[in-house]
Amino acid sequence: MNSILFLILRRLRRPLILIIVCFSIAIFGLTLMPGLDNEGRPWHMSIFEALYVISYTATTIGFGEIPYAYSQSQRLWLTISIYLTVIPWFYAIGKIITLLQDTALRAAITTERFARAVKALQEPFYILCSYGESASVLARTLDEKGMRVVVIESQQERLNELDLAETYSVIPHLCADAKLPENLIRAGVHHPLCSGVVTLTDNDEVNLAVAVAVKLMNPTLPVLARAERDDIAANMASFGTDHIINPYTLFGDQLAMRVHAIGTYILHEWLTDVPGDTLLPPETPPRGRWVVCGYGRFGKSVVENLERENITTTIVEAMPELTGCDECIVGSGTESKTLLEADIENAVGIVAGTDNDINNLSIVMTAYELNPKLFVVIRKNRRHNDTLFRQFNADITMQPTEIIAHECLAHMIAPLLAQFLTLVRNQSNSWANQLISELVSVVGETVPERWAITVSKDSTPAIAELLGKSTPVSLHNLTQDPANRSIRLNLVPLLLLRDGVPMLVPPVSTALQMGDRVLFCGTPDARSALPTLLNNSKILTYVIDGIEIPDSLVWRWLKQKLQ
Amino acid sequence: MNLEKVIFGFFIVLAMTLNFGFFLGDIDNPSHHHVYELYAAIVVSLIATVLKFGDRTHVGAILLSTSLAADLQLITAAILWAALSGKMDEPSLITYIVSLSGGALMANFVSVILLIAETIGQRR
Repeated sequence: MNSILFLILRRLRRPLILIIVCFSIAIFGLTLMPGLDNEGRPWHMSIFEALYVISYTATTIGFGEIPYAYSQSQRLWLTISIYLTVIPWFYAIGKIITLLQDTALRAAITTERFARAVKALQEPFYILCSYGESASVLARTLDEKGMRVVVIESQQERLNELDLAETYSVIPHLCADAKLPENLIRAGVHHPLCSGVVTLTDNDEVNLAVAVAVKLMNPTLPVLARAERDDIAANMASFGTDHIINPYTLFGDQLAMRVHAIGTYILHEWLTDVPGDTLLPPETPPRGRWVVCGYGRFGKSVVENLERENITTTIVEAMPELTGCDECIVGSGTESKTLLEADIENAVGIVAGTDNDINNLSIVMTAYELNPKLFVVIRKNRRHNDTLFRQFNADITMQPTEIIAHECLAHMIAPLLAQFLTLVRNQSNSWANQLISELVSVVGETVPERWAITVSKDSTPAIAELLGKSTPVSLHNLTQDPANRSIRLNLVPLLLLRDGVPMLVPPVSTALQMGDRVLFCGTPDARSALPTLLNNSKILTYVIDGIEIPDSLVWRWLKQKLQ
Repeated sequence: MNLEKVIFGFFIVLAMTLNFGFFLGDIDNPSHHHVYELYAAIVVSLIATVLKFGDRTHVGAILLSTSLAADLQLITAAILWAALSGKMDEPSLITYIVSLSGGALMANFVSVILLIAETIGQRR
């Protein structure tokens, strides 16, 4: 604010001095001019009267000749005064208007307003560095969840989109380079309520720079960064970036998971999707020989994961010397000649994984004509091409932006969820299927809410109080309805973390201890009912023993007497 | 020699001297205090204030604040004069006005001291 005020003051120095000088000359002269009052006595204007007359004359309001009709000399002086004062007056007004249109000043004002909006935030918030496709999905979901977001983005058009978007709470945003530390500070890196920084630009260097800057300025702040190149990812990991997201590796993992453990995959999808959505049952990719078109980062990750599942692949690549594949068929895959060369007629699946959406669609359409039974995996690069891809309806559509957004959500909405998913990947497919059927019976078909609680004095005072009185509280008690203990809340504890040791899907008979962290998934109703149990020891006691504790002093005393 | 500094110093000293000229004399004797001198003191003080606009140094900020203090008291004195003349007996009205200008004089005095201090502190 200071800098803006000083900028304005410095620019206005000259017009203001001009106005003061011209007004003072005009006022002084007017007091000297002799006049005659109504009775013909000589009369001089006082300084105050002169100030009044000049003020209305200079601003072109003009009230006429007050208090008496003017003498010739007064009129003469007023004529001079009009020219003397009106010009600087307009000069000053013009200067102020020019100043308000000054781009530097306006940029300074928006920056300042952004910094103030961030400073005024009273709730925990995340900083998003970029507002691209994945970040916009992320921002929208977090906003729907009631979490606050702050956005820095260097392209104004994307921010215009954000301006027009309907959000529950205001999303402060700034058009600036996130690499510059001062912009990160303005966005609240030092803010006590900042809960993390997410950098998802499509430029690895920018993500790296942001991650480094944040880790240097505030080492405890969690950083989620997107990195597509391995060297950058390794660099990020070396100084403690908390989560590095590579959409291609992630997709490769997911594809492999689909091939060998569909149950685990569904569980993974279900728990990282946007809550409230309904998930379609995915199809299992067939085993056999696959044709992979495009051997870039995406193709490499797919091939690697398919081969780990003992699936053979034929690679089609337009520029083998650039991507470094030794055995491949040269060609883009969009014409039938290349695909026939890759023996598409005897393959079971095709992966169209080039970085050009139209080429990918063309590859898949040509392949379909040659072999209609193919299992189709297609890579979608731009969200704007959505309609085209929906027309085609492939078996798997891979979109980097959505994968990134879901991965981020898993980390941001419930930090324990990421740990849970890692543990799930090591479990068998049948274990996952069993868990899914249990979850569906409790929370229904839609994507459930995920949230975590920590047993402590501050966040769960009721449990802490009962544990302090050495009354055991079990997980089962937290699944009972506060209004009627025989009814079950629609929630399932997924993970219990005690002294850093995780317990996967803990049995409900487990007794809670201070410091335990529990990950739940369940319906939104259950989520909103749970805090009553955590905060009110009276209700918690009722749920445990079915005994209602009297509220008032008199009733408590009576009850003690009666016992 | 710096023309900006000359003009700046001139207006600060002029504001103080005009103010002093108005203040000088018996506090309740209207004939010792001329209205035009107050007028000139206000105008010069306002110009001195504007000249300090936009100076980001610490001394600049203090100079601006002393000037604002002087302006406030001088303008209050002028408003009293315009509003109360004819409604009050002259000696007691002039006492108010002169005492206010005395306050402004102190502020102007601080301004000049700061200016001198800055000048002496200059290494060149």
